[in-house]
Amino acid sequence: MNPRDRSFYRKIAYLVAMALLLGVMFFFSRPATQDARGVKGSPGGLLAQMRAEHGLSQAQLGEIDPTSETIRLATLGMRGVAANLLWGRANEFKMKKDWTNLSATLNQLVKLQPNFIAVWRFQAWNLSYNVSVEFDDYRDRYHWVTRGIDFLMDGTEWNDRQPRLWWDIGWFIAQKIGRADEHRQYRRLFREDDEFHGRQALFHPPGRYPVLDDRDNWLVGKKWFLDTINLVDNHGASLGGLSPLLFRSDPPMTQINYSDAIQKEGVFGERALRAWNVAGKEWRDYGLHDIPTTFDTIIQLELLERDQETVDKLVAELDELTAGIREEIYQERYKALRPIEREAFETPIADRTDREHQLAADAREKLQISHKEVAARVPRPNREKAVKLAERVTELEERIGHIDRYRQIVNYAYWRLRCQVEQTPDAVDAREFTYRAEQALAAGNLPAAVDHYSEGFGKWRQVLDAHPGLLEDQTTVEDLMETIGSYRKLLDQLDQPLPDDFVLNDVISLHDKQQQMSFGPYDEP
Amino acid sequence: MVIEDEILPFFQWLPTGLLHWLLIAGSLAVAALLIGWLIAALRHGPGAAVRMVSKTLSEAWADVIHMSGRRIWALAWLAVKESIRRWVVVVFGVFIVILLFAGFFLDPASTYPARLYLSFVLTSTMYLILLLALFLSTLSLPADIKSKTLHTVVTKPVRASEIVLGRMIGFALVGTGLLACMGVLSYIFVLRGLSHTHEISPGELQRLQASWEQQLAGGKSAPPVEIETETAHGHRHTFRADAIRRDGDRRELIPRGRVRTDVARGHWHEFSYTVPDGALRSDDPLALQYTMGPPEDRFVARVPIYGKLRFKDSSGEPVEAGVNVGSEWAYRSFIQGGTLAAAIWTFEGITPQRFPEDRFPEGLPVELTIEVFRTYKGDTSGEDIPPIHGSLIVRNPASGEQVEVRIFPAREFATDTQIIPRKLTRASDGRTFGLFEDFVHDGKLEVWVRCIEPAQYFGMAQADMYLRARDGWFAWNFVKGYLGIWLQMLLMIAFGVMFSTFLSGPVAILATLGALIGGMASRFMISLATGELPGGGPVEAFYRLLTQENLVSDLPEGFRSELMRMFDTVLQGYLRGMAEILPAFERFDYSTWVAYGFNISGDLLATRILTMLGFVLPVFLAGYFFLKLREVAR
Repeated sequence: MNPRDRSFYRKIAYLVAMALLLGVMFFFSRPATQDARGVKGSPGGLLAQMRAEHGLSQAQLGEIDPTSETIRLATLGMRGVAANLLWGRANEFKMKKDWTNLSATLNQLVKLQPNFIAVWRFQAWNLSYNVSVEFDDYRDRYHWVTRGIDFLMDGTEWNDRQPRLWWDIGWFIAQKIGRADEHRQYRRLFREDDEFHGRQALFHPPGRYPVLDDRDNWLVGKKWFLDTINLVDNHGASLGGLSPLLFRSDPPMTQINYSDAIQKEGVFGERALRAWNVAGKEWRDYGLHDIPTTFDTIIQLELLERDQETVDKLVAELDELTAGIREEIYQERYKALRPIEREAFETPIADRTDREHQLAADAREKLQISHKEVAARVPRPNREKAVKLAERVTELEERIGHIDRYRQIVNYAYWRLRCQVEQTPDAVDAREFTYRAEQALAAGNLPAAVDHYSEGFGKWRQVLDAHPGLLEDQTTVEDLMETIGSYRKLLDQLDQPLPDDFVLNDVISLHDKQQQMSFGPYDEP
Repeated sequence: MVIEDEILPFFQWLPTGLLHWLLIAGSLAVAALLIGWLIAALRHGPGAAVRMVSKTLSEAWADVIHMSGRRIWALAWLAVKESIRRWVVVVFGVFIVILLFAGFFLDPASTYPARLYLSFVLTSTMYLILLLALFLSTLSLPADIKSKTLHTVVTKPVRASEIVLGRMIGFALVGTGLLACMGVLSYIFVLRGLSHTHEISPGELQRLQASWEQQLAGGKSAPPVEIETETAHGHRHTFRADAIRRDGDRRELIPRGRVRTDVARGHWHEFSYTVPDGALRSDDPLALQYTMGPPEDRFVARVPIYGKLRFKDSSGEPVEAGVNVGSEWAYRSFIQGGTLAAAIWTFEGITPQRFPEDRFPEGLPVELTIEVFRTYKGDTSGEDIPPIHGSLIVRNPASGEQVEVRIFPAREFATDTQIIPRKLTRASDGRTFGLFEDFVHDGKLEVWVRCIEPAQYFGMAQADMYLRARDGWFAWNFVKGYLGIWLQMLLMIAFGVMFSTFLSGPVAILATLGALIGGMASRFMISLATGELPGGGPVEAFYRLLTQENLVSDLPEGFRSELMRMFDTVLQGYLRGMAEILPAFERFDYSTWVAYGFNISGDLLATRILTMLGFVLPVFLAGYFFLKLREVAR
């Protein structure tokens, strides 16, 4: 074969190989088909099926941006390098405080990595939290906070099934605007921001999530939280690293924060009552929602009391069947304790040494008697019934333990109580008097301020007497202490001491006690 | 605008620059001669080598001296024709596509859209032109050699120097033509992209007319109502238009007038109105005819007079720099508020002739950018959060006489214009001073800035305050910005042609690209070579990268560390040398100047042109020698 023929045959071989490879590629990755009426035809090749199964195809991630696709192709496989360079530039622009170019670089970056959620989240955080604080004027700061939120909204367009982005928007709008030091100014600017609300309305057409005020940052944030829940519940989106307990608490918590915020801004009467009423209902609905736990169980926060009642009833039944057995076991175990353990256990807690504390704890553990142990000693024929009862009680107690732990994380009982209390006439009066006192103080009308404070504290006394549970949480104590602090300063100006019989002395003592507990023995309080 | 390296006046820079160049060029020439002699000596013996080197030098002298303009032009024209066939159209096409898609990246609603647009067009043009220069200059000669075209050329009576110079000039001509086209298109793109006007809603027009009607009817003498425009390009403007002429109790409507809006996003508009028949009708908003002009003052070319900055600490003692508030970028130094700390600029050449009263009737315009660092947020309980205030003081550098010009609220990341009046009155004793008579000594004037609020800080750098003597012509400044790109292109072409005289096309591309990247990273290379960067030299840094060691902790003492340090010392010397030899391309980049609205000074331009020539000349000579020594050219 002469060289020319060899070359010709080689080319033919290459062409055949290419055709074969293309055939294999087509077999694996041919797309799914459907006819004009949308009826599904072929499910597509193996790769296409896998992409569809794992939600990886571009169309499943969100909208497709032609510019972004062009740029990604134009980098000829050097997308990683280009993205790295842009990240470097963005960091440098941030360091050198060149905000115009930082924004432009971020826009380029997301064109390269439109489906990389971390880019959207990290850089939005950067804009709203880190860049905004660089500005001295709060209006500029607000502008950059909303730039970050806008950036996230852009991100949702290309990643409309990523609940994390939607959740972040809710968080930024609710928490960044509502909790900043400048929240008073931010909330006002947010309310006046026509442009932002114009864009926001595209995501939330009127009536989709009816709220009491479409321009309040807490309630707008709530809409985004509800979107997140909708994505997860109805569109199969994954929660990612979000805890279901916290994630589902966000909408009712924003309603609570809204109610609290408007009262602090001087809104009382029907509007405030309605806000708290909605908050109470939503909090209860949240409490009735199934929450999966890390113990592989499903709980409802609201059902703790109901379960506790059942347990009390079942334990009473069990006690009837096991009369005297629990005491008998206790005595046996007590006798079985080592003398040193017994001695430590009997020593009053205050007098125990460190070693005795340890021994007493060991003893206590040994003296623990389970329902099942008691039931096992019940004589026949009641033993079987007792064992069943003991198993049910143990199961319920375990469940109550889980609910209790989860309740503590979101402070469930406190917020439920708070929603009830805030709807009572005394609480409304207490808040209103306090607000009026603050206004009078700001206006320099000191005598009126003293009067309003006194009336307010009187009302608070009635509220606390009716709902002592409120003081179990630091939030109310801190809130009241802030008001008492202002009152004290006011009295100082008038050269008057805080009266010995001040109606909220118990709150002050409680606060002092909490302060002492939060400082270690060597810390300066 | 940030100016990290001080710009010296041309004639102040020239002696040092020239000496520096002579030293480096001289050392390189001596090194090249020595290497040439060494190679020749190894082949033909030391004596013959000396003869050969001197012969080559004398031939080179003749080749350079006797270059013919006609032949160079012919060769340059050949290069032009060849280039047009090859790359130019493609690059121009890409540029147009970039401009077409630029709207996807550029947000006219950003805080400073002009900066964004100008930076974008200048940067994208720069990269495209450099890319074109790279391919044109490196692929041409090797292709000619490969296709034996060059053999035909060298049979003609042309010198190697003419071939090299002809190529350089030819490619430069092509690049210049293309750059000019890109410049024109960019200018139009920026102007059109940012051009806009604002509508005024019928409600606002009604409000305006109602207010005028009320004032005409003898209502309360309230200030004119503030009118807000509709949103365009992501922003609105506000303005107050007073159309009532008052003469005692008589009030009369001015039927035609114009006012400026406020400045937003770095520009303002002119609102002009006409009341047809002089009759207001607030029930009919269309009765008032108005036009809103195009954006004004968006594109400027300030000609600043910079001063020398020094600091005083909180006890009033002179210090080299202010306080560092923990910023990673230590460009700005901070002064503590409510203390004696001050930032002091000394300006020179301040004369009444430079600031004539007819052009500066109010006084000296000072533009100031301040960074604020708050140690506490201040009172956030009110409707507004008050800004941090500073004090602007002028002082006579000789007599020490000083007066506070004004207390001003700091506006961060924005250029704040303050006027130093021609007549100043001291509040403490009521004495009146003349600015030029009492505070300028020998053309020198001191301007002090203090932060007056305790525990808050002001941050400043030398370029943050300047006197705005006049404004240049923006279009010309834009051209100067392109001139910077042109200088970079010439450098790139020179290097490309030089490398292509002895390397094959792809290798020449890599070598030229290496020179470009090295040149762009020269600042980094110098800081790596001088040990300014944490993490040691290149070897140590690589070791840290592999072992995931942080950059600041010391490596354990021992043989390994010692060995790395030894290698680093050698490499750092090499890096230092390379940083000196390669042109720092970023120094030719004027995009920031144009984008931030600062005039590119003649000093800066002259310095860079001379620097470019300083590189091009030895590179041309090197290219000539390499071609001369190649078999094909003999």
